[in-house]
Amino acid sequence: MGQELYIKIEVKAEIFLLRPLDIFVRNLVKQLPAFSSDQDTVDSIELAFNEAYANISRHAYKSGVKGPVQIEIFVKDRMLEIRLEDNGENFNPTEVKEPDFQNLGESGLGIWLMKQFMDDLVYESGERGQNVLRLIKRIPDEKMSWSVGCS
Amino acid sequence: MEIEKLEGVTVISTDERLDAMIAPKLKEMVKKMSEEASTKLVIDLGKTKFIDSSGCGALVAALRTLLKNHGDLKIARPSPQAKTLFQLTRLHRVFEIHDNLDDAIKSFDK
Repeated sequence: MGQELYIKIEVKAEIFLLRPLDIFVRNLVKQLPAFSSDQDTVDSIELAFNEAYANISRHAYKSGVKGPVQIEIFVKDRMLEIRLEDNGENFNPTEVKEPDFQNLGESGLGIWLMKQFMDDLVYESGERGQNVLRLIKRIPDEKMSWSVGCS
Repeated sequence: MEIEKLEGVTVISTDERLDAMIAPKLKEMVKKMSEEASTKLVIDLGKTKFIDSSGCGALVAALRTLLKNHGDLKIARPSPQAKTLFQLTRLHRVFEIHDNLDDAIKSFDK
């Protein structure tokens, strides 16, 4: 199956961009016929993206000078994927332990929530040592009878 | 965010989003409020359509701060998205949650 949608955005990893980017992602996903009538999945994808971007913005660049974050969104092979890439300190979120729900703290839920709300959360260290985080949502067969027509 | 006092109970009404942008402000607001002992606080989520882990963290911090100073916190009118998040994170067992603002305010009399 070909690629039905591809969008790429590059910004400085500033926290003030969290809301505009988050709203963009939400509205984009809502426009996709596969998800347009599925409010819960739209909420899930929005939350996962929000947590991923907020983490990069707050923790990836320790020096105070915010580096870039590249966001790619694409639909391919029955999957919606949001790929976030940064050049900050190496950090593999998939290795973070599950939160202690008996004594929940004020932080530490974000990565766990990403795992709950997406079908797959994949971390890769890129060729230049960059962090690559892939948020993947599979599209059920019955929702695949459409094409966005972008490439 | 808006603050008002109703029947001796402080009510903070959060905006459309309770996320990483606003969570530090909510924490700070409750910290100042808790300097007065036995603060009764309702956080009204009626307008809030989206809450994230930072928003949840701010609510946990608010409850802890208030309990330390013999106060208490109730949550009112969470959206379906907030309810899903509270259940998934087991926070529905930590917070007293009401579907109605009046019920949340009156619950302090019991």
